[in-house]
Amino acid sequence: MNDSWRRWRVSCWCLLLLFVRTFSAHADTLDDIKKRGELRWGADAEGGAPYVYTDPQNPGTLIGFEYDLADALAAKLGVKARMVQNQWDQLIPGLERENFDISLNGLEITPDNRQRIAMSQPYFVYAQQIVTRKDSTGMERLEELQGKTVGVLASSVAERILEGQKGIELKIYPGNVESLRDLKAQRLQAVLMDLPIALHYARPDPELKFSGEPFAFGYYGIGLRRNDARLATAIDQAIKELAGDGTLERTYRKYGVWNERQKGLASYEPERLAEAKHISTLREWPKYLPPLLRGAVVTVELSVLAMGLAVVAGLVIVLIRLYGPLPLSWLAKAYVEVIRGTPLLIQLFLIYYGLPQLGLKLNAFAAAIFGLGMNYAASESENYRAGIQAVQHGQAEAALALGMSRWQSLRHVVLPQALRFVIPPVTNDFIAMFKDSSIVSVITMVELTKVYGMIANATYDYIGVGLMTAAIYFALSYPASIFANWLERKLRHDHR
Amino acid sequence: MITVKNLIKSYNSNRVLLGIDHDQQRGEAVVLIGPSGCGKSTFLRCLNQLEIPDSGSITIDGLTIEGGRLPQTSQEREQQRQLRMRAGMVFQSFNLFSHLTVLQNVMSGPLVVKGLPAEKVEVSARHLLAKVGLENKAEAYPSQLSGGQQQRVAIARALAMEPLVMLFDEPTSALDPELREEVLQVMRRLAEEGMTMIVVTHEMQFARDMADRILFFDGGLVAESGPPEQIFGAPQNERTREFLKRALST
Repeated sequence: MNDSWRRWRVSCWCLLLLFVRTFSAHADTLDDIKKRGELRWGADAEGGAPYVYTDPQNPGTLIGFEYDLADALAAKLGVKARMVQNQWDQLIPGLERENFDISLNGLEITPDNRQRIAMSQPYFVYAQQIVTRKDSTGMERLEELQGKTVGVLASSVAERILEGQKGIELKIYPGNVESLRDLKAQRLQAVLMDLPIALHYARPDPELKFSGEPFAFGYYGIGLRRNDARLATAIDQAIKELAGDGTLERTYRKYGVWNERQKGLASYEPERLAEAKHISTLREWPKYLPPLLRGAVVTVELSVLAMGLAVVAGLVIVLIRLYGPLPLSWLAKAYVEVIRGTPLLIQLFLIYYGLPQLGLKLNAFAAAIFGLGMNYAASESENYRAGIQAVQHGQAEAALALGMSRWQSLRHVVLPQALRFVIPPVTNDFIAMFKDSSIVSVITMVELTKVYGMIANATYDYIGVGLMTAAIYFALSYPASIFANWLERKLRHDHR
Repeated sequence: MITVKNLIKSYNSNRVLLGIDHDQQRGEAVVLIGPSGCGKSTFLRCLNQLEIPDSGSITIDGLTIEGGRLPQTSQEREQQRQLRMRAGMVFQSFNLFSHLTVLQNVMSGPLVVKGLPAEKVEVSARHLLAKVGLENKAEAYPSQLSGGQQQRVAIARALAMEPLVMLFDEPTSALDPELREEVLQVMRRLAEEGMTMIVVTHEMQFARDMADRILFFDGGLVAESGPPEQIFGAPQNERTREFLKRALST
């Protein structure tokens, strides 16, 4: 007894020791980099020109002024650079999770960012540029954007600038290309973006123009973890050397982003920062509830309308598939297979960004409902098919023998009986829809998950806001789940 | 009233009916007997178009349908429906609509197919239920009934369409022996009332009692036909004799 107690205590200590070693005593990142021979830098290459992007001449390799800069930095440290792909608005969490050593991807040196992470010497001077369609007039200054629908990149400086402005309808995009596409599709009247992006994507486009002069100058810096002081010093030193020996100018000229303002980089002095803001506490949570609930309303609207569409369209599809003439029934079958065999994300992109190119322009809400609804229609039609086939053949025969037409036998005998088999899987799909609907944030819908992302990225409170969001989702789907179980029980006891 | 000419039906290479000719008077009760797989049920199912014969013709009360193809035009489909409405069908497995009550089952035909007013249909449906002795089960669901009761409801449901001929496809085969009699009794009464009937059955005693004429099916053909006294008393055909010897000894 005594002996086993001691053994138990010893193993506890061992576990604790292991825990502490794993989570607190992490080695110095600079040493790690040297030992590894590799500087891992986080960036988003999707729509990332001219920073980091796929070489159109040579797909499979990456280029960009930051790509070249990373190589140059790594060379100064005596190692090789390796890019780690990471969604742009999640670069800071990715850095904190130690997915990579530094974040080098147009990260602005702002008070917000400097409170969260350490930032290096600036390596680039950026500005904001308003982009409009060629035929637009006005909108040359920030104040003139009032009353307009304006697109910005999620978590960018442009978003922060416009958030403070009254009377602007803000549309937030996960990437840079999508907002310009929507500008051309007339869903937006202007896009506010970082100048280098505008130079690369908007300037060469004959349908678009720069509206007014660039403004709101700022610096890009490299993001580092707060406790990597040695690495920060080494990176700062390397940037200074690259600025001094002309490497930066050469690199930036190569990608067309050099201007006279970049010369100021050498004389940069950081401002003193106020005391770091803490992760929000319990007391702040009530403030997040109203926007989250507004997001939840959108989620419910989306789910209910899309499910309504799916239930009706699914019925049409299955009836055509089972009872329609040959070419049509084959088409219905093909529809189901193609929809089920391709990702919802791609379908949404095709509907929202692809259809306008064919002349059919849906707003985000309509596109979301259409995309989700027609996707779910395929699974509902399969649910119906299983239900219809579960109804005994004799039932339809008896109906026909009474003189019912095929449609009458379906309508009065087969479908009502299939309902019993169909309701449980359809209600399950409805519950799944609540959660799947979060994907429509990629086409600028601001629903519950998107609101979560926006609040969490602004407050850095991933746990608190995350738990609240999860609780709201649960509060939505649990009653539906209870209802589904009740219905299932009721149908099982009824008849037969 | 019923005339069938040279009815042929096969499934893929399996030939089930090899050319059946049949004539039946109004009010005549005909019983089909024969070994399993001889085509009795298929013949019945052809009569109300649940199977489409390969060739041959079926005439019920002046309406003729030729075999050989599925109805294509709406006119052909309408003809098919008309023929079906003249023949009431009772299945081996009852096939009551499980989501409807007994009363709703009986009302479904006139209501959906003929579009008659519900009040009127309900009166005659309750009347039919009384006739099969189930007026007190009107609100029950089929699952709450015994097999014999379900089959009696199925008979009432078929009668509700006021068919000219009733087709019974082994109506008691799925029933326990003690439940068969209640169904056979209903059928006997129908025959006594002068209903034209064709019955496929293995109940030899029943066949002997109620049939006006018996057809012995064998290998897709009518091997022998005649009044029960002749078939049971002095069968002409060797195969009939063999079949009856086996059937009556069990």
